[in-house]
Amino acid sequence: MGRLHKGEETEYKRWYKLDLSAIVYPTLQRRDFSSVYRLSVLMKEPVQPRVLQQAVDRTLPRFPTYKAAIRRGVFWRYLEPNHRPGPFVQEDIKNSCQPMRFKGNNRYLIRVYYYGNRIAFEAHHSLGDGTGGMCVLNTIVANYLRLLGHEEIQNGGFVLDINEKPDPEELEDAYMKYANAKVCPPRPAEKTYRVRGTKEPFYTLNIIGGIMSTSQVLEVAKKYNATITEYLNAVLLYALLKRQENGFHLRLRPVRIAMPVNLRRFFPSKTLRNFITMIYPGVDPRLGEYSFEEIVEHVHNYMKYHINEKLLRGDITTNARTQSNPFIRVVPLFLKDFVVKRFYARVQDRNSSAGLTNMGVMQIPESMKPYIERYDIYMGQPFSRRTNCAIISFGDWLTINFTSSIVEADVERYFFRKLVQDGIHVKIESNRNM
Amino acid sequence: MSYCVNCGVELDDTAQACALCNTPVINPNILKKSRAELEKSRKNPPYPVESSEVEDVKRVDMIILLTVVFGSTALICLLLNLFVFSNSRWSLAVMGACAILWVIFVPYLINRKMSPFLAILLDGLIVAVYLYILTFMVDTDKWFWGLGLPIVILSTVVMEGFSFCIRKLPRSILTMGLYFFSAVAVLVTGLEVIIDCYLGGRVSLSWSMLVFTICLIVDITIITLLSRRGLRDAVRRRLHF
Repeated sequence: MGRLHKGEETEYKRWYKLDLSAIVYPTLQRRDFSSVYRLSVLMKEPVQPRVLQQAVDRTLPRFPTYKAAIRRGVFWRYLEPNHRPGPFVQEDIKNSCQPMRFKGNNRYLIRVYYYGNRIAFEAHHSLGDGTGGMCVLNTIVANYLRLLGHEEIQNGGFVLDINEKPDPEELEDAYMKYANAKVCPPRPAEKTYRVRGTKEPFYTLNIIGGIMSTSQVLEVAKKYNATITEYLNAVLLYALLKRQENGFHLRLRPVRIAMPVNLRRFFPSKTLRNFITMIYPGVDPRLGEYSFEEIVEHVHNYMKYHINEKLLRGDITTNARTQSNPFIRVVPLFLKDFVVKRFYARVQDRNSSAGLTNMGVMQIPESMKPYIERYDIYMGQPFSRRTNCAIISFGDWLTINFTSSIVEADVERYFFRKLVQDGIHVKIESNRNM
Repeated sequence: MSYCVNCGVELDDTAQACALCNTPVINPNILKKSRAELEKSRKNPPYPVESSEVEDVKRVDMIILLTVVFGSTALICLLLNLFVFSNSRWSLAVMGACAILWVIFVPYLINRKMSPFLAILLDGLIVAVYLYILTFMVDTDKWFWGLGLPIVILSTVVMEGFSFCIRKLPRSILTMGLYFFSAVAVLVTGLEVIIDCYLGGRVSLSWSMLVFTICLIVDITIITLLSRRGLRDAVRRRLHF
């Protein structure tokens, strides 16, 4: 880990190694792509930008790995504290999750926006995952409410105490702590179906969000003997299968979803950095036609088998073994970038047809709930022409947001129509030109 | 509250059409309202309507570094030529090369959105200037006016044309091939004409016609493939990998 401060706050590290997942994201950086995700909260009152800026300024020092800039070393990139002015809150824009230049925005890798009642927070994935980002956003929101005079807002859940010093565990690379399986299971590597569509012009990100009742979705999921995640996974697979069937294809390919699993559920850790691994639920239409019930059952069994501490530990170990290989470590960064980018584009990206993430239920202090309408989460721009889906629930609101850079919205249409067919009331919001 | 008649989903009050299937929202009550009433009742859309672009990061440090490296190389060579190795004007070649490299790299770093046509023009111009500088190192400049300058002008025009085709005309693997082979055909034919004019003043095309014919055959094949969709699909089916 990094060297210690010689001055006053000695426990603060002067620089941080990128964690195991974070190493990959900067290498994928292109002129028109950055691994940026977006979290937003819809308040019950219009947002006051000046107060929000004060809240950001007060909150960010509590999160040293988010108040950071990314730098290139000879062998690896690293994070170092960023003391430049900012980040400054700005009015929201239509084309969110824009590429992030490492040298732009005063070298900050986060952005804070406001629009009407909404506060949005965008972060580069090299800083941390959705859970870490949600902690930053909720702590900003809690401080914003306190500055507005709501002194009763307490800490807890995703709201951290800004007067406390950061716990070293929050800043650690938790992967290395648990990468200790005796074998390394192989990664799946098979070409899957890829959604082909007309590419949108540079910087366009199409968002289609569905808002629905959590209890209604839970009820329908229970009918299929599945959890909400399993049911929504199955609906997305069903939509992709229909898209493949009805679209142009030379031959059928398996349909698979890349789904991040929050490892904090299985390995105790307070880290605010990346601590996720991917699983790939899918079906293979070459084996025959699947009914929706069969897809749900297939996903249910897949999840049951793969989401457990043992297999996840094996997966972490496989990833960590590559990084700790001495031959790989001594290779200069530009060569690593070259190889990783090509590997990702040719193997990893083709490994799945779409992405789906479920943040689950938002945990915030009771005293904060009356001021918040709902949360939204967006996976950001996909690396290739496909669609990503992100789910979050708060109270009885469940929001599903699709983001894509293609003109066609077939997958989204099949997905939401299936939910409507199952009796779920869906309200659609979009940034598309309608 | 509007619903899409095709998808069955509820739509936002501000939506003009369903985001999933593009079916327009038609509310008979709204049709009766006046423009002023409509403006009054209009709500904010769920997402902003204003787009923005990523800020352009100027690579000032890289521009300074390149300028210092090329500038100091040119200056040191000039001084060495003047005071140490002064038997010929060799430093002109080095200074010209430094100028070429500077013009190729630095304008792009200053303005990342620079037009490629302007970039090609600047590159052609600096290469012509470099060749002219070289004339001071030899006894005659006849080769520059008869051979060097026409070749640079021809290459620049062909590159501009190729760049125009790629950027402004339909682009696919086949059309790219068409533009490339056409450019090669024009370039080699022009080269032989210029060389013949320089050597004897009489144009007799020979070797360039061989390249020209090959390029022409490839171009005709590509045009046939482009114009016959069935044939194109058949080739794609047989050659896909």
